[in-house]
Amino acid sequence: MAQAAQIQPTPSAGAANALVRVENVVKHFPAGLGTSVKAVDGVSFEIREGETLGLVGESGCGKSTLARLVTQLIPVTSGHVFLGDVELTRMHGEKLRQQRRQLQMIFQDPFASLDPRMTVGDIIAEPLDNFGVLRGRKRNERVQELLRLVGLNPNFNNRYPHEFSGGQRQRIGIARALALNPKLVVCDEAISALDVSIQAQIVNLLEDLQQKLKLTYLFIAHDLSVVRHISDRVMVMYLGKIVEIADSVGTYSSPKHPYTKALLSAIPVPDPKIQRGRRLVELSGEIPSPINPPSGCRFHTRCPIAHLPTPCADNEPPLEEKVRDHLAACHYSQDV
Amino acid sequence: MATPILQVRDLRTQFMTDGGIVTAVDGVSFDLHQGESLGIVGESGSGKSVTALSLLRLVPDPGRVVGGKVLFKNQDLLQLTDDEIREVRGRDISMIFQDPQSSLNPVLRTGFQIDEAMLAHGRPKAEAHARTVDLLKQVRIPAAESRVKDFPHQLSGGMRQRAMIAMGLSNAPQILIADEPTTALDVTVQAQILELLGDLNRELGAAVIMITHNMGVVAGLCTRVIVMYAGQIVEQGTVEQIFANPQHPYTWSLLRSMPRVDAVRHERLRSIEGIAPDLLHPPAGCRFHPRCPFRIEKCYTDEPVLEEHGPDNLAACWVTMDRARKEMGADDLVDIRPGAGSGVHKGQVK
Repeated sequence: MAQAAQIQPTPSAGAANALVRVENVVKHFPAGLGTSVKAVDGVSFEIREGETLGLVGESGCGKSTLARLVTQLIPVTSGHVFLGDVELTRMHGEKLRQQRRQLQMIFQDPFASLDPRMTVGDIIAEPLDNFGVLRGRKRNERVQELLRLVGLNPNFNNRYPHEFSGGQRQRIGIARALALNPKLVVCDEAISALDVSIQAQIVNLLEDLQQKLKLTYLFIAHDLSVVRHISDRVMVMYLGKIVEIADSVGTYSSPKHPYTKALLSAIPVPDPKIQRGRRLVELSGEIPSPINPPSGCRFHTRCPIAHLPTPCADNEPPLEEKVRDHLAACHYSQDV
Repeated sequence: MATPILQVRDLRTQFMTDGGIVTAVDGVSFDLHQGESLGIVGESGSGKSVTALSLLRLVPDPGRVVGGKVLFKNQDLLQLTDDEIREVRGRDISMIFQDPQSSLNPVLRTGFQIDEAMLAHGRPKAEAHARTVDLLKQVRIPAAESRVKDFPHQLSGGMRQRAMIAMGLSNAPQILIADEPTTALDVTVQAQILELLGDLNRELGAAVIMITHNMGVVAGLCTRVIVMYAGQIVEQGTVEQIFANPQHPYTWSLLRSMPRVDAVRHERLRSIEGIAPDLLHPPAGCRFHPRCPFRIEKCYTDEPVLEEHGPDNLAACWVTMDRARKEMGADDLVDIRPGAGSGVHKGQVK
């Protein structure tokens, strides 16, 4: 925990085109007996206007917690989240609620995230009703416009969620997220529950909507192939820390962190000729507990290139620029 | 070629639902050879899991295997008595499932549950117990001697799946059926489990049937592939042929709709328009025709049969991709709407 203070804000932080800026954000959940789960532990990055920032990592690395911190659905333990020039982490109540109009989420499970007893029209209009934006005929017109926008029949507004397939439900979730013309849409595993052929439809839809509406996405997924496809930049998390941020080509073609490299080697490529020749970078052991993370670099217990005991087990590597616009937190990034 | 160890012929499994009869598996036939690793791929509802469950007569109510033959060592598994099939399950053919969390009993020690699999088939207790430790070592669980005493919640997801594989291998089966064994796991763990399955397949010579929706998994592990769509086999071939030269438009579309981690540049994904058919009312003719860019008039009315289109390749398609490439310019096709390649009822999704 003492090391959290060492974290440097990303060098490019504060650039003119940052839509969201996250500075030294920490989220600890109490876990009883005075311990805490260090779900997000000193994280700094920015989301640039109009980009898609991908966020990958394995289960338990803190990516969903981070999404909820960015949208301020849960309060930070410490640190700051800015939307433009406005600091969200200083706001409460009604003021924060008004800011949240600009931050919307699309969730993973298209079955659990829609109220089965509401019509599709009411589901999509709920954000409008919450903020008292549109009423009466204008409201219904907006609903139909949104349905058309996500590729559904505008006359479906009186139907119920159970009448739709998984892919169609996810389109309804997207329409709801867009109802208030948000600036940032956080997609938390938004396509993970869908079939391959439907995933492609939704990915294409998200890309079209981004162009049309000038949206900014924070796209969270454990499927690195999809993240690579959709993202301009990719951020990799391990045990509550960001270990690498770079444009997606850089991350995938020349990773600067051994964890990223291992993660990439584990993705099966749908081509037997290539897949047979690929070598898996095996990680030893299991992910350590976020209640009691390892000292120094958190990855050192599983790292294939760690220099032990020092510096890897003693000093936490800062997230710093290794090559232009390519940040990694590793003492030996040149050896990756 | 030697006689296959498993021959499935015209397997049909139906579910009697309130809405009517759903034929989840509709005339599936294939062979499994000794020691080979066969992938069955398809999307949800394609019938791949129900096919696997049907082989061992594990289809839950209101489902029933209503026809066909599953020939294993010259006996039809579908004709055995309940006691006889129980002898086959777990001894000759064993199965591992998607969710290792719910497949293990949370109140019994992991080692005991693996012992149990052997005790059920008459192995003496002491011998079973000793073998459990060996099995856990074989699936590379560290400190196996102490892990046998752990309860399932003390193991990580990857270790639980390893324990399930150990259980599946405990009676040295000839066939191991793995139903989406890595879907619930993280990618790094998935890669380890797949390597383990590959090694075990080579070392122990047990044939593996790998059921998955992930084409990447098949590419790494399997030698032969079956592609299912809407309860039927649409294509069957060697892994090389299926990936390099798929003949069914569904296989072709599926491969192109996946983003690849090794992609060089950003290309728009070629999705498959529409959704999989409702099996209560499957479409007439070819079941893929409402979504197929290369459909011709015949596809609307006549059901294609699985025919040989090359060495080791079967496909159920009136057009096939060879023809679609030659005559419809499939390789340069940007528009992937139904009928776009052939021009038949262009863009209409039923």
